[in-house]
Amino acid sequence: MLSKLSLRNARRQARDYLIYFVSIVMAAALLYSFNGLVFSQELLALSGRMEQMPLMIVLASIVVVCVFGWLVSYATNFMLSRRSRELGIYLLIGLENRQVARLFFRENLAVGGCALGLGLILGNLLFQALRAIVLALFGMSYHFSFVFSLPAAGLTVACFLLIYLRALQRSRKRIRKMKICDLIYYERQNEGVVIQNGRGRRLVFAASIVLGITGTVLIMTSDIISGLIGAGCIIVFLYGFFLSFASGVPAFFERRPARKYRGQNLLVFRTLTAKLATMGVLMATISMIFTATLISGGTGLVFRGIFTGRSAENACFDLFIGVADGRPFHERYQNYIDSHLSVEQSLIYGIYSAETSEVMDYLDANTFFYHFGYDRDPVIGYSDYAALREIAGYPEVELKEGEYLIHCMAYLAETLEDYDKTLIMGDATLAVGGIYTGHLLQHYGTGNGHGYILIVPDEAVGTRPVHHYAFAAKTAQPVGEAQYGDLDEICDELWEKEQTGGYDVIYTRACEEAEVAAMTAMTVFPLWFLALALTMTAATILTIQQLSESERYRNQAALLHKLGMDRREMAKALWMQSAVYYTLPVLPALVIGVSFIRNLAKTPEPGVMIGLSSPGAIVGITLGLFFVVYAVYIVVAYISLKRNVLPDAD
Amino acid sequence: MLQVRNIEKYYGNKNNVTKALDRVSFDVADGEFIAIMGASGSGKTTLLNCISTIDSVSAGAVLLDGDNIAELPSGELARFRRERLGFVFQDFNLLDTLTVEENIGLALSLNHTDPAAVRRRVEEMAGKLEITDILGKFPYQISGGQKQRAACARAMVAGQSLLLADEPTGALDSRASKNLLEILTRMNRAMGATILMVTHDAYSASYAGRVLFLKDGRIFNELFKGERTRPVFYHEILEVLAVLGGDVSDVI
Repeated sequence: MLSKLSLRNARRQARDYLIYFVSIVMAAALLYSFNGLVFSQELLALSGRMEQMPLMIVLASIVVVCVFGWLVSYATNFMLSRRSRELGIYLLIGLENRQVARLFFRENLAVGGCALGLGLILGNLLFQALRAIVLALFGMSYHFSFVFSLPAAGLTVACFLLIYLRALQRSRKRIRKMKICDLIYYERQNEGVVIQNGRGRRLVFAASIVLGITGTVLIMTSDIISGLIGAGCIIVFLYGFFLSFASGVPAFFERRPARKYRGQNLLVFRTLTAKLATMGVLMATISMIFTATLISGGTGLVFRGIFTGRSAENACFDLFIGVADGRPFHERYQNYIDSHLSVEQSLIYGIYSAETSEVMDYLDANTFFYHFGYDRDPVIGYSDYAALREIAGYPEVELKEGEYLIHCMAYLAETLEDYDKTLIMGDATLAVGGIYTGHLLQHYGTGNGHGYILIVPDEAVGTRPVHHYAFAAKTAQPVGEAQYGDLDEICDELWEKEQTGGYDVIYTRACEEAEVAAMTAMTVFPLWFLALALTMTAATILTIQQLSESERYRNQAALLHKLGMDRREMAKALWMQSAVYYTLPVLPALVIGVSFIRNLAKTPEPGVMIGLSSPGAIVGITLGLFFVVYAVYIVVAYISLKRNVLPDAD
Repeated sequence: MLQVRNIEKYYGNKNNVTKALDRVSFDVADGEFIAIMGASGSGKTTLLNCISTIDSVSAGAVLLDGDNIAELPSGELARFRRERLGFVFQDFNLLDTLTVEENIGLALSLNHTDPAAVRRRVEEMAGKLEITDILGKFPYQISGGQKQRAACARAMVAGQSLLLADEPTGALDSRASKNLLEILTRMNRAMGATILMVTHDAYSASYAGRVLFLKDGRIFNELFKGERTRPVFYHEILEVLAVLGGDVSDVI
């Protein structure tokens, strides 16, 4: 009989708290899909750099399990409070405490079990999506193949058991100790008003705002200690803000009665303050979760931006070796390349120093530009430049007599457009003939200039000293990790033997691309996994709270209907209540999160964070993805509330 | 002011029809205080709901100041309710998240009254009902009698022409009931409010100028107070109720 009752209650629970049930299914799906990545030999074999991925994902999973654990624990406790009267009645009719505790335990376990089962199925599809993304990152083609990873499923089940058993054990203990009257009146227990005194609340409100601003400024500094103090300030701000906010709003409207009675203000602000008066701590926690979500998601994109930005510049040749200290290109490299690589076209060339540093000085004066390794403007002969363009796959460019060209990184092009000074090379005086952009390995001292290079007639460079030599090649087959490893070993041996001051740099397109793919999978995936889990948890708790108020809203709407409020106006008030309720915990998170992301995205050297990786774009994408997930919860809650609350039309 | 003409109200479907109101007709004059009495299921609340446009009549007409409520388009009903009718309910129906001032001001806010004038008008009405000192309190901080006075203030503050009261003393003790009924009487006499009150309680009904008795959806009897004193009128009501039948609790 009790088993039957448990099952029936479990069905009812899944229906009444559908949004929670769906979130738990999604939690299982997410855990399974990421666990799938940990155990996928196919994906780990893509690159040697992927061997760190399981560790990164497991670390993220530990945090995610804690987050979902909090969700389940909160929701279980919440359901217990909502259903305590019913459980009290079971005691009244003669069931023992331990039987009721077992009943509650079983039905929650049944809900968790169903969610886990559905989550594993959905997780398999999600894993396929992640697999397709990873393969696409490595430039591999994706073919659907159904794989059920038993270790991944086992780990997911273990995580779920941990989450559920911990939450249920607590409620089980609580029920076993409860008296009938405790259970019957349990729902009357509410979060207490933490700061009772109105004046005290206003002081806390003002102090929290000051702390919030200080904290945001501190976390934007690159100093770790300041960052930690800033994070502490922000946590104090969030709790202070939400615990004192409820008093600030009525005081504001009390001084402005005309504003209070305008439109829907009265209903909206009173509903909000009533909620905040009892939910301050929860709102602050949720706001903190949203802040962590935005920081986690944004940081993931910043990392990706850094990897792709740097790699795009480094991956412009199939193979590039920049030799340090003006030494010639060593024959050991050449021998290895001749015997192991299928070179289609190659070039050993020199980068020269101009007589002056006028372009460098101009850039220093007019843009945020830093340079190292050069004290004069770097110069290359036109024929070498033309060959490099061909190797990199760029179209030909013409250099007219009496002119020089500038090839620069994209972010400097706009500044250099206005540069019109002549260049003196020996007897020749050259005018600017054009500016070209395109990745050309220009952000290393042993690359093709640092940020820019000047292209002059071949005869003009003859008189200038060589800054360094370099080698670039186009190959029939990609230069993979094994060949890169061999070349790197040669580099190490040369450095040890010859004890030269500088270190040669080696880049291959294939390795750079594999590195970006692996780093993306290792950093972006776990951070987004975490961000998604945090958003789902916070949004689910907000929605459970909102929907649990349906009955009170329904009574309020019925009264307003009798008093003559239009259904349309009621819908508008309900929408505004929902909008303010869902917006409030996001606002501090937006201010703090956006400031942090923008600042972090500006940290790398210039020219890296451009296009979709520019600070603005990263903020936009992070917010866009966050709001897409959040909006699902808001819309579901609003539709459900509207259906349950608003009276039928007259 | 109010003319109820042969109204009928049926519930149920084709096979099982319940007649809640059966050709009920009566008039309420401007400034009148009228009580409607009857046993449970006699159709009192249905009648009140039909007059208040919360429910529709199956046949007949309800005219308020000459306007037939039944013919009002659905979009107009809400406006009609907020501009012309005031409500007082048994369980007060104050919004617990609003202060007393805001609960009263809500009626003005719904009527799109100039927001700057709301507080002044609320204070005026509160003064008349002697609840000025509790305006800043929330419903859970005040007594049942004070709640009901706040509900009365809400029902009248926007200048509504007809006050509909559904068992207003049902949740009050005898002292608070007496207090409220005296306030209703004062609102009727001093402020000219037209009041239609549904009640089980003969004592409450004795404060009205006229009592209509409903039985099985029809008007069974009608008593005018005239020049009689309230105690005399009260005993007459009890006599009618004794003839009317119903639960003993209905007449005590």
